[in-house]
Amino acid sequence: MFELIGISPTLLFGQLLIGLINGVFYAMMSLGVAIIFGMLRIGNFVHGAQYMLGAFGAWYLLHLPDFFPGLGLPSLGYWWALAIVPFFVALIGAGMERLFIRRVYDLEHAYGLLLTVGLAMVIEGLFNVAYGAGGQQYAIPDSLKGGVNLGFMFLPIYRLWVIVAGILVCFATWFVIERTKLGAYLRAATENPDLVRAFGINVPRMLMLTYAFGVGLAGLAGVMAAPIYQVSPQMGQAFIITIFAVVVIGGMGSIFGAIATGLMLGLIEGLTKVFWPQAAATVIFVIMAIVLVLRPAGLFGKETVAYHGSDISAARPGSILENGRLWLIVFAVAGTILPFFVYPVFGMKILCLALFACAYNLIFGYVGLLAFGHAAFYGASAYVAAHSAAVLGLPTELAILSGVAMATAIGALFGWLAIRRQGLYFAMITLALAQIVYFYAIQASWTHGEDGIQSVPRGRLFGLVDLNDTMNMYFFVLAVFLIGFAAIYRIVRSPFGQVLKSIRENEQRAVSLGYSTDRFKLIAFTLSAGLAGLAGGTKAIVFQIASLADLYFMTSADALLMTLIGGVGTLLGPVVGAIVVVTMQTQFATLGAWVIVVQGSTFVLCVLFLRKGIVGTFEDFLASREERRRRQAAKVEPAASAGLSAKGLHG
Amino acid sequence: MTSALEIAELHGWYGDSKALHGMEFEIGRGEVVTLLGRNGAGKTTTLRAIMGLLRKKSGQIRFRGEDIAGRMPEYVARRGIAYCPEERGIFSSLTVEENLLLPPVVAEGGLPLADILDLFPNLAERRASQGTKLSGGEQQMLAIARILRTGATLLLLDEPTEGLAPVIVRQIGTVIARLKERGFTVLLVEQNFRFAARLADRHYIVEHGRVVDRIAANDVAGSLDRIEAYLKV
Repeated sequence: MFELIGISPTLLFGQLLIGLINGVFYAMMSLGVAIIFGMLRIGNFVHGAQYMLGAFGAWYLLHLPDFFPGLGLPSLGYWWALAIVPFFVALIGAGMERLFIRRVYDLEHAYGLLLTVGLAMVIEGLFNVAYGAGGQQYAIPDSLKGGVNLGFMFLPIYRLWVIVAGILVCFATWFVIERTKLGAYLRAATENPDLVRAFGINVPRMLMLTYAFGVGLAGLAGVMAAPIYQVSPQMGQAFIITIFAVVVIGGMGSIFGAIATGLMLGLIEGLTKVFWPQAAATVIFVIMAIVLVLRPAGLFGKETVAYHGSDISAARPGSILENGRLWLIVFAVAGTILPFFVYPVFGMKILCLALFACAYNLIFGYVGLLAFGHAAFYGASAYVAAHSAAVLGLPTELAILSGVAMATAIGALFGWLAIRRQGLYFAMITLALAQIVYFYAIQASWTHGEDGIQSVPRGRLFGLVDLNDTMNMYFFVLAVFLIGFAAIYRIVRSPFGQVLKSIRENEQRAVSLGYSTDRFKLIAFTLSAGLAGLAGGTKAIVFQIASLADLYFMTSADALLMTLIGGVGTLLGPVVGAIVVVTMQTQFATLGAWVIVVQGSTFVLCVLFLRKGIVGTFEDFLASREERRRRQAAKVEPAASAGLSAKGLHG
Repeated sequence: MTSALEIAELHGWYGDSKALHGMEFEIGRGEVVTLLGRNGAGKTTTLRAIMGLLRKKSGQIRFRGEDIAGRMPEYVARRGIAYCPEERGIFSSLTVEENLLLPPVVAEGGLPLADILDLFPNLAERRASQGTKLSGGEQQMLAIARILRTGATLLLLDEPTEGLAPVIVRQIGTVIARLKERGFTVLLVEQNFRFAARLADRHYIVEHGRVVDRIAANDVAGSLDRIEAYLKV
């Protein structure tokens, strides 16, 4: 039979086995992420780094004598690691919850996401500094070496052990949550933490322990993974995005669903490797898209709608800082003078990223949708523009426009899929969809893999202006930025923009007023994607390159960071944020491997201390000054009127 | 009579808006006392303040002599105060039985489970159903039932009759009367004065976040016009 379909049974079962093992890790990891999300409402992006800590923990224990030669410590093997490391990783998790994550429980999901992204960058960055990107080997323990010949395939004992132990751990977790008193507390606290506290249960401590447990599970997965995969600082980085997709597919509120989905997706991925190897990297994300269309709540999910009415905007209506006409002139004048004082290339970088951040702010700041995949639009446009200019020989302006068209099309498609869910799910979905574009760019031939598209010609604008001249190029970019900025200002001030803001403040109310909010969200998302594409395409021409970095999720995180640093939902915030971030990146460029650590720390510090952003904080200052003046005026007025009436009496 | 709860000079805020403007009242041990008032008068906020769920507040809340105003909800609960919220707070991911057994026992002297099921026979039949599959009346029964076995001595009941059929309201009235016989202290928030009048030893009228009048049970007959004036919309 196998000969008929041209696949050898060894290959088929081999890949199925690998798929099942991956599935076990998916299940263990998505279980932790799902529990943490359910209880704490935190999208634990640092889960991948915590998994990596587990693997490194096992490796450390094995090499204890090498690290501390003088102490005569024994080398602790696999079984010790299995017993000790998850506990230690959980302890680290508890510490992280106490120090950082606790502070963002009551905040918008964006802060939790950015905080955990920052923590992941710090941890992975530190390990990268210490061990480089290369992997360490961890040998399979002697007691689990060897294998069984099943006739049609050879089954290594270690892999069998991972499958059995992983599934047992998953079902033990399921049992505790669904069938015990402790689990009842957890489920109740997920629904209504205040009431559970009012019954006398220390919910904050329970949250910390839940987080620690989820993290410990990641640590355990890390130890189990150490002998299979290489122990490297990056091992959890891309993994976490897949896990998010698994959680979206499984759906909210079902522990069993998380386990079943994880195992199933591992198997499907294995099968895809047999029949269509190129698609194996993206199959999970594609399945996610299909599931969203057919069953938005996820395969085992119970709910989709979680409207929340929190207003993330730091803007103050009527403030001078929101007067776009004024600032358009200011930017035009300042932008014209700028290249005579700073390096024009630096200026162009700021302008491109400022436009990108403004575009992102349109969807995140004005509609309140936590998009986390804008790299897809920025990068796709960069690739298409670069390809059009370099290979197809299109004139510069058409090359950029073709990039914008591509970004807009992808934006409309992704938006159509993603608006089915809200809140953190929206972030996970856009992130996972963006990952499809990323993997596509790695594999496609016209994108040239790791090299990207290089030496993109800048060409002539409308066949007249030579853009190889830096100043000409600069003023072109300035014009593009000003057009984009003006367009966004126009959009948010229009009646359409008012509806967007009403969705941000209270979607349910906007729906009850008769607005089809989904359509508004989709249009806004598409516009935002198109403008992000404008920034990406322009960037490809300016820097004459489109690369994988443009599509990487860090670019999406940068957009979020710039918007947050500047001030979410403010007109000027993204521009200020872009100036700060680009300046920082330029300054830190000399730090080498440390740059990721510094960047991650910036994320964390911003979330902890600069939540309203620079513009938002300044806006608060202006507001309180105005308030003071009004009070003073109010004090003076009664005194004056008292004087008047006294005069009147005498007169 | 020793006092179970004394509230003095209680002020409370939701963000910037002030909801409680110097609440003052007390409850003796074993008494049933109601807070009557219109919507938005601050009755629920008072209960939330007592439980520690309202963080921004000042003033004194003395429970059996101990000031609990600054305490966290979990501490307040463990001192022996139990809360039945207006929206009932039945957990949909828990079965009826799990809902019933969820609140931990904080002291001795709670009702044995058998007695509770005796008071609320419906719950025994439906113990395996999902909590929110119960009818509104049954959910209210469950919400009261689950705080009886914890050993708490002071029960805060927030509008237990809201939106329920008259026959269920009567049943709940019977339950509260039996709880009083058993020595529970009950602070009842109500808008349904006729229901409250039959049960309570004393009524406090709440307006704009403070107590504006106090009516003892035996004065009720003579004060009906006054009460009507307070409660009419």
